Amino acid sequence: MVVLKYLFNVLVFPGLLFSALVGLLLSGLDRKVVARMQKRIGPPIIQPIYDFFKLLGKETIVPRAASRRTFLYAPVIGLLALVTVTLFIPIYKYTAISTVADIIVILYLLTIPAVALIMGGAASGSPYAGVGISREMVAIISYELPLVIVLLTIGKHVGMALNKGVITFSLSQIVSYQAEFGPMITNWRLIPAALALLLIIPIKVGSLPFDIAEAEIEICEGPLVEYSGAPLAIFKLNHAIKMFIMTSLFVTLFLSGKGTGILILDIVLQVLLSAVIVVISISTLKAITARLKVEQVLKFFWTYPTALALISLILVWIGR
Amino acid sequence: MFKKLIEKSFEKSPWLFHLNTGSCNGCDIEIVSVITPRYDAERMGFKLTGSPRHADIILVTGPITSQSRDRLIRTLAQVPDPKVVVSIGSCPRSTNVFNGSYSVEGPLDKYVPIDVSIAGCPPKPEAIIDGLAKAIEILREKRRAMK
Amino acid sequence: MKFPYLKEAIKSVFKKPSTEIYPIVNKEAPEGYRGKINYYPEKCVNCGMCIRVCAPGCITRTIEKTEEGDKITFNFYQGQCTFCSLCADFCPRGAIELTKNYHLAVTDEKDLLVSGTFIKKLPPKPPVQPQQQVQNQQNQGAAKTE
Repeated sequence: MVVLKYLFNVLVFPGLLFSALVGLLLSGLDRKVVARMQKRIGPPIIQPIYDFFKLLGKETIVPRAASRRTFLYAPVIGLLALVTVTLFIPIYKYTAISTVADIIVILYLLTIPAVALIMGGAASGSPYAGVGISREMVAIISYELPLVIVLLTIGKHVGMALNKGVITFSLSQIVSYQAEFGPMITNWRLIPAALALLLIIPIKVGSLPFDIAEAEIEICEGPLVEYSGAPLAIFKLNHAIKMFIMTSLFVTLFLSGKGTGILILDIVLQVLLSAVIVVISISTLKAITARLKVEQVLKFFWTYPTALALISLILVWIGR
Repeated sequence: MFKKLIEKSFEKSPWLFHLNTGSCNGCDIEIVSVITPRYDAERMGFKLTGSPRHADIILVTGPITSQSRDRLIRTLAQVPDPKVVVSIGSCPRSTNVFNGSYSVEGPLDKYVPIDVSIAGCPPKPEAIIDGLAKAIEILREKRRAMK
Repeated sequence: MKFPYLKEAIKSVFKKPSTEIYPIVNKEAPEGYRGKINYYPEKCVNCGMCIRVCAPGCITRTIEKTEEGDKITFNFYQGQCTFCSLCADFCPRGAIELTKNYHLAVTDEKDLLVSGTFIKKLPPKPPVQPQQQVQNQQNQGAAKTE
């Protein structure tokens, strides 16, 4: 019986089917809102689902200079890691797996899709892909530092109240703290950390103004330049699931709480709040800015979001 | 089981790639103006991609100059099936005013069969949208005949 | 860190988009637009000025001799035309006209050919007179003027 429950969790909810569907819908919503901000009618909201099925119908070409197995298996590794991460994120009171050190597991597993992109690009054997993967490495270096500081800040704040002063790494404890004292964003000490996390979400997802790695016209799409057919469909699916995971993580860390008691209404509430975060942080920046240069991205992330997160950390440490 | 859904998706989300083989850039400006907010082609699912391996419909402009002939053949061979070749303007159809020049290698008909041709010098963006709508139907027929 | 156009972007979400929905709403070309060629063969006199003036050389003609006169066919290939309208400006009888029709997206090459045929009758020949009668007429004309 336990095996059946885990199979249901991995394949249907909150695993592959649920997060793929919600991720593709959120990605479509993002495109529609960007189009409306630029005063035009955009594509319909279910457009990424049509994109995914169309890519499944094209033929797959493996170039002669590529190493075949790495080329074909790189996106699948990214998909497996992302599906595992979705099992750890709680939806108001329901988690599939809840352990003592949730945050550390999520941090490590979330670097695997980025590394899978680097592996796929390196196995292509094309010079455009080589330029793309070096830019992706610069992007990973720049956002890891503020992300760790934000997570440590929230862990310390909750740990002072519920865990006898030690940092807590468990997401279910963070949710139960918010059920007692209200959502985390109402605490004035943690607002700089929320702003820092809102700025980190676009670069994790790979959208303007920080999309120096993939989806570019200036280096012919970067690491994805030689992909076609089914592997490309899985890469686009990874991109959509990453959007769902990052916004859902923001909602759990800052806007969670008691919720209603019914599971279906909790799911709907979480998805609606994720959609609001997508519109605020991803679409608005995508519609009005251009792309930054590589050294400007590194300089930006090691000054502004790091400073905001450090201010929150110091305020939490000396308060209480 | 998924066959009908895949066939319908070929109609709803075709991706374009634009190839310039020595044109005067008039037709290129009209292609880019189809993406602007006034004639928005994205509401029908069109998207300009950066790599020929991601594309379904290839838009070719310009008479084929001798410097770009090898690159044209290599790029067209990289596009995965099913694909549709659309020639925009009168330069690829029959090399317009550059007929008989020493550096022009002839109309596009010599290298690849053209599916849709849009005449005009340059064609109006509404005519380009008409041609793309015809190309989508041909794409769906090619997908149906593939397996 | 400045974010330009932020207010305009947020205000545009609630306004009507400025897209013209083309295939559902038909659009007419402005006045003086040079579109597809219309050829009136009944006005043509086969002077050949349009062939001399055409820059890409897309006008061709074929002549067949029949018993009534010459059967002349003019072919305008729109796939090579630049739409400069020099042929319409130089035609002395106004037999060529560039219309406002811009729907030129075709799948078959033969739809791009505009052609017209007309028959040019030769002028009637005067009757042939024998040599003696011509001399008599000239002598009579010289005697009258004297």
